Amino acid sequence: MKKLFILLSALLVLAVAGCGGDSKQSTSGGEPQVLNLYSWADNFDPAVIEKFEKTYNCRVNYDVFANNEELLAKIQAGGALYDVIQPSDYMVTTMRKLGLLEELDKKALPNTQNLVADLRSPSFDPEGKHSVVYAWGITGIIYNKKYVKEIPETWSALWKPEYRGRVILLNDNREVIGMALKKHGRSNNSTDPAAVKEAVDDLKQLAPHVLAFDTDTIKQKFIAEEAWIGTIWSGDASFVYKENKDVAFLVPKEGTTIWADTLAIPKGAKHKELAHKFINFLYDPKISAQNYEYIGYSDPNEKAVPYHSKEYNDDPILKVGAAAIASGEWLTDIGPALPMYDRYWTELKTGK
Amino acid sequence: MKNGKFLIAPLLLWLGIFFAIPLLIVVVVSFAGRTPYGQVIFNWTLENYVRFFEPLYLSIFADTLWVAVLTTVFTIILGYPLAYYIAQLPKKWQQPGLILVMIPFWINFLIRSFAWVIILRSQGVLNTLLIKLGFITAPLQLLYNDTAVMVGMVYSLLPFMVLPIYVSLEQLDRRLLEAAYDLGATPFTAFRKITLPLTLSGISEGTILVFISSLGMFIVPEIMGGAKAALVGNLIQNQFLSARNWPFGSALSIVLAILSLVLITIYYKALAAGKGGGKDA
Repeated sequence: MKKLFILLSALLVLAVAGCGGDSKQSTSGGEPQVLNLYSWADNFDPAVIEKFEKTYNCRVNYDVFANNEELLAKIQAGGALYDVIQPSDYMVTTMRKLGLLEELDKKALPNTQNLVADLRSPSFDPEGKHSVVYAWGITGIIYNKKYVKEIPETWSALWKPEYRGRVILLNDNREVIGMALKKHGRSNNSTDPAAVKEAVDDLKQLAPHVLAFDTDTIKQKFIAEEAWIGTIWSGDASFVYKENKDVAFLVPKEGTTIWADTLAIPKGAKHKELAHKFINFLYDPKISAQNYEYIGYSDPNEKAVPYHSKEYNDDPILKVGAAAIASGEWLTDIGPALPMYDRYWTELKTGK
Repeated sequence: MKNGKFLIAPLLLWLGIFFAIPLLIVVVVSFAGRTPYGQVIFNWTLENYVRFFEPLYLSIFADTLWVAVLTTVFTIILGYPLAYYIAQLPKKWQQPGLILVMIPFWINFLIRSFAWVIILRSQGVLNTLLIKLGFITAPLQLLYNDTAVMVGMVYSLLPFMVLPIYVSLEQLDRRLLEAAYDLGATPFTAFRKITLPLTLSGISEGTILVFISSLGMFIVPEIMGGAKAALVGNLIQNQFLSARNWPFGSALSIVLAILSLVLITIYYKALAAGKGGGKDA
């Protein structure tokens, strides 16, 4: 399903990347170094990658994964295949605990000082020893002003009977249970059985109101106005807003989940020097601006603001997201509590 | 004889590498445990199979079986007349008729599922049409419910029913029907006494294909069901991804495979008994 879809787009990306690489080899002499990049599909502006290849006379080999678990499985099976990987927040915790990440050489990464302060010491890697935040987003409420007349200032707005059958929740157990935990004033990483049960019982009241659980095609559902209100990541909300100006986005005051895809180097990477160069290159303000205009997510690079288009800087939804960073809590790997979350998730999905 | 064995060797090798070994791995993992961070540890336990018997998971299996049965029944009801119609066409039209049944298979299943979303969603093709024609005033909620899942399942598996039934109809000896008519049978009697019993093999092949395929289906509930109806396929997928519990996922897969085998065996036994009884009478 969604994986296939991502794989399809991955094939396209690979085809494009492959072509770029080949045409270059004829012009430059000698065997160029190869940077093996393992990341999410569509996570870079291809022109940025091409610029890196030209600048450092190398070739970038861009492989994609569809979810963190796939990344973990592949790195455990032999991570030395890759030089740069992009685990998300909680997966950084897991990979650090399993000793799968190289320590980053900060001296080789001066540009990462351009990161906004709030993203420099995330709880999943407080000293930033093994990872740098790359793309980030925040979970909030998206709603269509045509149907939702009262501003949904708290998560409880999702429970309102008048939106029954028009609510969308992210198709992700940590996001949904985390949202309900926040509603009850708890941490979205809570492993306290009573707190989690309280949140889940509340969600069971909401489940009959839910039109669909969706993360991959959620944008289409709000653009086509199938759904009126729901939880969404800020970057996706911004995408919807570009297509449908009736939607608005806000982050409820109880707090929320913040997420990030990071850049990291797997243990035993063969081209560590080039990997550092690549990471540093991405935080160059001009490069960063070009890259994020393409990806459409919030640029975590403070120095990049003057290089962005006015349209990007004025995007109301990205602004809402950026202003709410401080109210976001990172998801960490809850380890032993994961089976409990999974069981509740199955119960919620099946209505039992 | 020896040469024959030699020729079959590549096939056995293929089956060994791509069927037997992966299956063996799944069996082995299903008796393993997991660390808090989702790594598989081989501590030989039955706990994954014990967990299957919890009411939560049993009920998901029951739901899945029910959906599979319904899907099979609907594909027979829709597929038989279609196969019958194609088999009746003049020879030169039969091939194009079959190709029309199979054309959708040339397009990725995922894309076809999204096409259904575009047709059925509230601002979709069907609702817009009905509103424009004045049949309804507000869009109907056609997606993200059990009916939508059923529509998607029947749609995607229909060709598996049509093709075997067509083959059995095509092999039907028409002279038997002529004889029946000569002896004064009505078309309905002729169908019931001759066509239906002689094409039962096609129906049963189709039933097996559709039933087994629908047991493992997870794309349709995910896309057309709004990820709300959890079938066994979705449950297994979840164990391998978000729950990071490969052992439990493997155990569920093995249970599903055994269940399929048992049901098929019972089905064939019943079929054989039915046929035997028919001959005795």
